[in-house]
Amino acid sequence: MATTTATITISSTDLLTDELSLSTSATLTGHNNSTGLTQAAGLSRKKLASGHAEYTLFDGSDYTATKAHKLYLKNTSTTADESFKITINTEEVGLLYAGDWAFFPWSAHDSDNDIKIDPSATDMVLEYMLFTDE
Amino acid sequence: MATTTASLTINSSDLVGDALSLSTSNELNKAGTTTGIDQTTGMTKAYLTATTNIDIFPTLIEGSMAFAGKSSWVYICNKSLDETEYATITISGNVIGRLYAGDFLWMPWSQSEDSAGENLHGDIELAPSVATGMWFEWCMINEGTEYPTAV
Repeated sequence: MATTTATITISSTDLLTDELSLSTSATLTGHNNSTGLTQAAGLSRKKLASGHAEYTLFDGSDYTATKAHKLYLKNTSTTADESFKITINTEEVGLLYAGDWAFFPWSAHDSDNDIKIDPSATDMVLEYMLFTDE
Repeated sequence: MATTTASLTINSSDLVGDALSLSTSNELNKAGTTTGIDQTTGMTKAYLTATTNIDIFPTLIEGSMAFAGKSSWVYICNKSLDETEYATITISGNVIGRLYAGDFLWMPWSQSEDSAGENLHGDIELAPSVATGMWFEWCMINEGTEYPTAV
């Protein structure tokens, strides 16, 4: 087994009257156990030229549903209005604008549950990594 | 405007042959701009005692034009200490993934409106795996908020 730790910190001194300082750490473990995740895909970068709408980043049929997959995504663009749309099983999750990152679990429950990305401009680069226990 | 920063570090000395030390940080800005996001639902701490799928932001109007084309960020953390307990996170019935004990997620949320006009895609849903009681925390940091009119 491996030990992989993810820590998120969200902070602001002026979003609220009181200071916001949230920090949470998680050790990435497998489905229904405390064994550390042992598999990874990436860290990788993908440049998408024009005509790559709904590009399949991960195919749901390649992974098992009842696992503890976790996905990291980052839009490396520095142009504020350039975004990647993230879609799972035709559901638009959200937009990653320049510099934004996301980290979330993924249930690859069937072939329809692909992770797809859609760049708003040409030659945008997405950085990504999948942590998994299979 | 406000300045809110979200940072992530992922470290491992033995997941791959070389040490993994990923670190990233960004300021939360309004969609397509460099102006900081200035609204939040506040942090919720909840003890859920049923496996029922619940809408974690029930006070927001789903599919509201206030959210259209805006930037919203969602944080959810499963505070359970039991490794077998998880929560299934869905958006309008579409499974995103499972949050196991101690896991968190941080993701953008479009709050897109259902093409059938049902406005259900504004729902982020959470279903605990057990009914024996699980603790959760969640919040949203966003721009554009519309609440239902009181009846």
